[in-house]
Amino acid sequence: MPLALLLAGCAGEMSILDPSGPAARHQFWVWWAMLGVSVVVALVLFTLWLYTFRRREQPERTPREEQRIMLRWVLGGGIALPLVSIIALLVFAAPTGRSMLPLPLPEGEAELIEVVGHQWWWEIRYPGENGEPDVITANRLVMPAGEPVDFRIVSADVIHAFWIPRLGGKRDMLPGRHSIIRLEADVPGVFGAQCAEYCGAQHTNMLLHVEAMPREEYDAWLAERRVPPAPREGFDEARQAFGEHCAACHTVDGFPEELIVDDVTYDMVGPNLTDIGSRPTLGAGVLPMEEGAIAYWLEHHQTLKPGNRMPPHNHIDTETLQDIGAWLETMEP
Amino acid sequence: MSDIKDATLTPEVRRLHKGMDEVWGNPTGLRALTVVNHTTVGLRFMVTGAIFFLIGGLLAMLIRTQLAFPDNDFMSHEIYNQVFTMHGTVMMFLFAIPILEGLAIYMIPKMIGARDLVCPRLTAFGYYCYLFGGIILASSLILEIAPASGWFMYTPLSSGEYSPGPGSDFWLLGITFVEISALSAGVELVVSILRTRTQGMALHKMPLFAWYILAMALMIVVGFPPLILGSILLELERAAGMPFFEVAGGGDPVLWAHLFWLFGHPEVYIIFLPGAGIVSTLIPVFAGRPIVGYGWVVAAIIIMGFVSFGLWVHHMFTLGIPQLALAFFSAASMLVAIPTGIQIFVWLSTLWLGRPRMTLPMLWIVGFLIIFVLGGLTGVMLALVPFNWQVHDTHFVVAHMHYVLVGGMLFPLMAGLYYWLPQVSGRMPSERLGKWSFWLIFLGFNVTFLVMHWTGLLGMRRRVFTYDTAMGWDIYNLISSVGGFMMSAGVALLILDIVLHFRFGKKAPQNPWGADTLEWAMPKPPTAYNFVSLPAVETRHPLWEKPELSRTIYEGEHGLNTIDHGRRETWGSDALTGKLRETVHLPSNSWWPLFSSLALAAVCVSLLVRVYWVAAVAVVVGVVLLLRWSWENGAHPGKAPEASMAPTEPPLHYHTMNGPGVWCMSVSHLANGSLYLSLLFGWFYLWVVAPEWQMPETSPLSMPLLVAAGAALTLGTLLLAKVVRRLRRREGSGLGLMMHLAGGLGTLQTLLIVAVMWLAGLAPTETAHDATLFVALCYVLILAGLGAVLCILQGLRVGYGYVSVEAPLEPVVVLRLWYYSLVVYWSLFVAIWVLPTVLGGGA
Repeated sequence: MPLALLLAGCAGEMSILDPSGPAARHQFWVWWAMLGVSVVVALVLFTLWLYTFRRREQPERTPREEQRIMLRWVLGGGIALPLVSIIALLVFAAPTGRSMLPLPLPEGEAELIEVVGHQWWWEIRYPGENGEPDVITANRLVMPAGEPVDFRIVSADVIHAFWIPRLGGKRDMLPGRHSIIRLEADVPGVFGAQCAEYCGAQHTNMLLHVEAMPREEYDAWLAERRVPPAPREGFDEARQAFGEHCAACHTVDGFPEELIVDDVTYDMVGPNLTDIGSRPTLGAGVLPMEEGAIAYWLEHHQTLKPGNRMPPHNHIDTETLQDIGAWLETMEP
Repeated sequence: MSDIKDATLTPEVRRLHKGMDEVWGNPTGLRALTVVNHTTVGLRFMVTGAIFFLIGGLLAMLIRTQLAFPDNDFMSHEIYNQVFTMHGTVMMFLFAIPILEGLAIYMIPKMIGARDLVCPRLTAFGYYCYLFGGIILASSLILEIAPASGWFMYTPLSSGEYSPGPGSDFWLLGITFVEISALSAGVELVVSILRTRTQGMALHKMPLFAWYILAMALMIVVGFPPLILGSILLELERAAGMPFFEVAGGGDPVLWAHLFWLFGHPEVYIIFLPGAGIVSTLIPVFAGRPIVGYGWVVAAIIIMGFVSFGLWVHHMFTLGIPQLALAFFSAASMLVAIPTGIQIFVWLSTLWLGRPRMTLPMLWIVGFLIIFVLGGLTGVMLALVPFNWQVHDTHFVVAHMHYVLVGGMLFPLMAGLYYWLPQVSGRMPSERLGKWSFWLIFLGFNVTFLVMHWTGLLGMRRRVFTYDTAMGWDIYNLISSVGGFMMSAGVALLILDIVLHFRFGKKAPQNPWGADTLEWAMPKPPTAYNFVSLPAVETRHPLWEKPELSRTIYEGEHGLNTIDHGRRETWGSDALTGKLRETVHLPSNSWWPLFSSLALAAVCVSLLVRVYWVAAVAVVVGVVLLLRWSWENGAHPGKAPEASMAPTEPPLHYHTMNGPGVWCMSVSHLANGSLYLSLLFGWFYLWVVAPEWQMPETSPLSMPLLVAAGAALTLGTLLLAKVVRRLRRREGSGLGLMMHLAGGLGTLQTLLIVAVMWLAGLAPTETAHDATLFVALCYVLILAGLGAVLCILQGLRVGYGYVSVEAPLEPVVVLRLWYYSLVVYWSLFVAIWVLPTVLGGGA
């Protein structure tokens, strides 16, 4: 019963103690082992220490005997104990990090997914092969389950960190320098991910929704996104307004060039919205996606996520925002 | 027990005490601002530090209030980000370091049997820099424009582009200002410990506390300059657009991380070492026996000092460091457990072999042990790279770090506070109120932070202003908040206890804890001159072996027991053996420290509001003030009334050629050298690592001019060396002329460097390459200018008779600067001209 309670206490979509991939599972066991040893060491030390205050009788000792006792303590406790623990840690635990290194695999190349950190959202890119187009999406990371995936990470502005706690450790995303981190999900599932390096005002609300799918589902998911989306019937006003107010920063694949009003005021990159209708959250985890959510976000985003880089839309009337929202909700493959 | 109260004073000794009071005593009223005495300034440091502790604590309570409940809107994200940034900044820079320096400043001379630190005016200067820097930083909180990029100020988040407001500037300028204070204290503590111990106190007889402070001070001297350099570079980037940390301009944000943690990790040990020093002082006293394994402790201190400089990368394990480096720094980080372990087991065996008494200070020591050991154990876990990748930047690390810092610093500090209170106030601490506050703080601390490890393991990140209830973190955060408020209640009780103490505490006996060190041989409350006569000490435990010392010192039976000359004197002794070498004549109260630091504050404020011409004027005023201050030195009548009455044995220090001033110059050059090496590190790091580094095919610097400037410097140095050799042979003819000639060569070098910079046509706002060259040239320019000015001033001082064959110390000090300058100049020449030319640019 207590064990069950404890294990239930470990669950959580960001919990290190609820591992779902080989790297995280290694660290899970390393943690419990280290905790066990530490508790024993601490208890023994505290007991000895407090015991010295309780003893009343002291045998007479010569300085030589005292030196010998001191040496025994210092050599045993001060040198041997840490040294043995360190060696044990380095031998048994240090190699557990190897699974996260992009070493060559016997079965060929690992799937490569690029993740770009922005203040305060995630851009996910699936590089195409043999002239296939890149698939670009945001704030939702879909990956194949049961096989190692290499994440090639970089930042577009300040330092962020890419972290899927239930799959494994984190790595900083630096501007101008790519690094690769390898993670694997044992089984299909949904995991939380978050920016772990403080990156400014909305660091808190920089969450990423991760979904691991079986290989075939993943391939299908990717394939349908490689096809340019068909234009939606109707929504002329919405598209007009999008071209006028949004298209300077946001891309929608296949959006007609002639509708885009180049607004030089904003020199930024916003999330690619081509498949926004299929994403589970808005604003990098601020709102769940449901009917009308996009319009609500467009109107209130500076209250929902104050300081985010999208300018306020006070100059646009609610109706237009609702039009745009309704149109964007249809944007899924 | 031999007591000062039993002392019988002859009229002569009474007159001696009165004379000492007149020469050493503090003025009151406005002139209290001129006080340089270490007891007074040390207390000022500690009281100011305590006030900043309360401010930092208040910020912590704001954080815990915000995080007590999910989706709390107690604070906006903007305020929250400022609050956690300032909590870290205030606790580290304005509380921990200064209060420990204050303790060292207060205690060290008393423990080593000196009357003051070796540069009393520098003590006062350091205090004012700290005070003004602290006020400037804290004012940003009130104005709600405090820095909000985290206490580690990672670029590019802290850069002009992503933090356009003045917050980062407050941090960079304010902290640099405070660090000047830390460096001044560092330099004079090193030299005081090495050169002003009382007669016979050899290095291996010195109290362990002095060893710890010596290590701390040396680490400050070497560890702070990288951050000072980093702050200067980042401020130049923000204010002038020089792209040191900007990828597009050929810089690299990781360089900032390196410079910051090059400072930041030693900083942890700078805070821990004095704490451990208190523990090593108290445990033998309350165990009633000498520490067993003095040598082991000293070895552990030295190892710790060195190893801590090899650990900085462990704060950057997730930053994408090469594998081999990761393995190295991981092992090094774990190895630091060994010197820590040695100390813990030496303490344990001392208790084991003694008869420990549980007193209020000891209670805090037990609290220290429990908390610090737990922090140490999680520290070893964190040194394991793969585990670190998981918990880095989570609340697990927050918990670990508070266990180490609060356990390693605050608890020993509180033990020290209660232990030394009687020394300051002459009263005994209360047992009951003190125990209550201990238990509240101890339990409150553990309630807050023990559970926080778990919150971190459940995935809660650091520096988030709120969290979703779906995460399952609610209850743990609430527990942490409740614990935090418990701890605050404990602190409130502690303050009440201390206030009541000064009013109602029982009178303390002369040596209330039965301690062994000299600070307990003094009258209570302490006199400004510490000891009316300075005893010879040849044991580690003077008061255990000669309990009558407090009386005999007070009766004026020991050395330097004359005051008719009106000089503040203490002994200068051999660094190793403690044999007497000279009588150090210490300067008295002065306005110069206050005025100079005010000028620096004006520089700081005008840079903040970006009125650069005022800053330039203030810099000039500051330099003039500092030089004017240095003018009152050596045999100047303002410093040395009746220099003719100099005692013959041991001679006054400025009649020798190896006075403490020479040592101060050398230790300062450790700091200066650390700054220079950080600059070289930056140059090579950017050259090798920065992704967009641009280096022109041929160096823009004119080789002939560079060599000519170097030749002037070399000639000047040779000339000065000759001057010193002649002084050693007591040949003083043409001294002034040669000094002026060296000054001329220095001026020539300065002008040539200006010409190099002028002709190079650098574009420091375009590329990191040019910006780094610009800063490097400015650095040698300042060195050259300073060398020239000091030589010219020496020439003038020869004319006034302040420098002569009789007073030959100053040219030796100036020569040290020139030697340093020489090494820096030619090595820089190799780094910025020869290597790029040989290896070819464009890389």
